[in-house]
Amino acid sequence: MIRHPIPRPAALALAVASILVLIISYTVLSERQHRLNPGDTTLPTWSQLREGVGVAVHKNQRTGERWLVEDAKASLGRLFLGLLWGVAGALILGLLMGCFSPAEAFLQPPFSLLAQIPPTAVLAVFFVLAGTGDNMYVAMIAFGVMPTLAMTVHMAVKEFPEELQFKAYTLGASHAEVILAIIFHQILPRLLDAFRLAIGPAMVYLIAAEMVVGDVGFGYRIRLQSKLLNMSVVYPYLACLAAFGFAMDGALRQAQRRFCPWYQGSRG
Amino acid sequence: MKAAAVEIRGVHHGFGDKPVLDDVNLRIGRGQFLALVGPSGCGKSTLLRAIVGTHLPRRGEIRLFPPGADAAGLLVTGPGRDRGIVYQQYALFPFLTALENVAIGLMLDETSIPFRFFRFLRWRALRRRHLEMAVEMLARVKLADALHLYPHEMSGGMRQRVALAQALIMKPEILLMDEPFGALDEATREELQQHLISLRSENLLALDESRTPPHTLIIVTHELNEAIYVGDRVVGLSQHWDWRSEGHQSFPGATVTYDKATPHSSAKTDRNFGAFAMARDEIRRVVFEPQAPPGRNEHVTYWKTRASPETTDEPT
Ligand SMILES: Nc1ncnc2c1ncn2[C@@H]1O[C@H](COP(=O)(O)OP(=O)(O)OP(=O)(O)O)[C@@H](O)[C@H]1O
Ligand SMILES: [Mg+2]
Repeated sequence: MIRHPIPRPAALALAVASILVLIISYTVLSERQHRLNPGDTTLPTWSQLREGVGVAVHKNQRTGERWLVEDAKASLGRLFLGLLWGVAGALILGLLMGCFSPAEAFLQPPFSLLAQIPPTAVLAVFFVLAGTGDNMYVAMIAFGVMPTLAMTVHMAVKEFPEELQFKAYTLGASHAEVILAIIFHQILPRLLDAFRLAIGPAMVYLIAAEMVVGDVGFGYRIRLQSKLLNMSVVYPYLACLAAFGFAMDGALRQAQRRFCPWYQGSRG
Repeated sequence: MKAAAVEIRGVHHGFGDKPVLDDVNLRIGRGQFLALVGPSGCGKSTLLRAIVGTHLPRRGEIRLFPPGADAAGLLVTGPGRDRGIVYQQYALFPFLTALENVAIGLMLDETSIPFRFFRFLRWRALRRRHLEMAVEMLARVKLADALHLYPHEMSGGMRQRVALAQALIMKPEILLMDEPFGALDEATREELQQHLISLRSENLLALDESRTPPHTLIIVTHELNEAIYVGDRVVGLSQHWDWRSEGHQSFPGATVTYDKATPHSSAKTDRNFGAFAMARDEIRRVVFEPQAPPGRNEHVTYWKTRASPETTDEPT
């Protein structure tokens, strides 16, 4: 039946089944491929994958670094810094736009234009302006996620009922308190939601940039190893990216539940 | 009731070319419970918003006379903590529990952001006292066991009671309510009316002890029964008045066409049903019926039958 809920154990069983289907079909496919061509590396067997992971975490004698650690440090550092700047900027600009009409009139046109340009296309510009250092990645992620995030904050502030704003004044609030103690609280869960949705695009920008100009990082390694058809290294890297995205999503959801316990119920 | 709390002088308002209010004058004594009634769209909310200060009138002024103010009073130029407001909707901050919703006024009024940040320990001690006061206030509106519920977990009646507590804890000079019980079922509505009546009893008690009555109220309602029951003075605002006889070529806006004491306000007895029904019929005829519109002052007799209050406090 349409939208009819199922019991929790059944849902769990289906979830496990879907994962099993994935694993089994991969195993079958890779077996078949190896029967046709024993030297195949595009669909590595499980033992090949284990070797690939071994390569990824192998300590390089010369540099004393492990690929995976090195790449994770570089990529995550860029990603977090970029997101941090992006969210902070979006919050400030979104609040300004939502609360002050002159700021809205001034900032909205450029934002709606900038939001239309794919950040990966602007890569070349950042490349010229910021060089190929970490700053370029940070700037690209920050500017990539800022327009949509700022628009979300802006819209959330606009939806804030003015009765509540008036009430805050009758309760003795100053202008700063209305913004920081009232409006900010109201939009925080929306900001966290938007943040969650921005992680995907941010990773796209980062990986794409690293593929083009990086010399360390997930994107760089994936491009290099796939060129060499070392898919036994590439797949574990992809799995790491998936796990990271999953963990971030869960953490932000948890943060929302923790800091905005009122939100889930009040939307209904 | 010797001191006036609010005075509305010659207030005109309109939106674009459309006139809404024409020369509204009202003097509200401290301790009065004024019920404002009128046909839908006549401008009751507009008038109330002018008193709150969020939408100032085009012409005319509204002055407040808090104890200690001089004879000129204070001109309303924006919303302030001396006027409490209870709306029909958006009554509460959705991100705060009942307790926090009531305590937030004390926080906003008594502290500032730098204080809460730099004098954190002082603030924590103060916060504890605020919460105690809020608990007490919530107990008074019979919500002692709902302290930690969020607004979306409360019924409409509970929310309005929290909103009442939220406004009352500030001890406002005047409490303004815009159809506060309009969305509630009959039983809940009556219970909340009872709360307002109990506030009026506090006023009477204060008068008996020759203290200043603590509560002054303007309640907008479209329920005549509610108006007569809760208010001790009913003011009718209406677009049906005889503006042609005052030389207006086109409709100038709604004005006060009815202003009288309710039957029970003089006698300290309970509802007198005969007088009650008569008052209701008169209000319906004067304020709500477009036929035979009354002149501006025909039924505006509240202050004619009693001594008008001074705009400063009587030295006692
Ligand atoms: N922001 C606005 N812009 C334009 N016209 C408005 C605005 N607010 C109110 N009006 C008009 O002013 C008139 C008075 O509105 P108001 O809300 O004060 O009426 P009311 O007496 O409170 O009515 P109700 O009993 O339905 O609440 C209405 O005709 C309304 O259409
Ligand atoms: Mg209204």
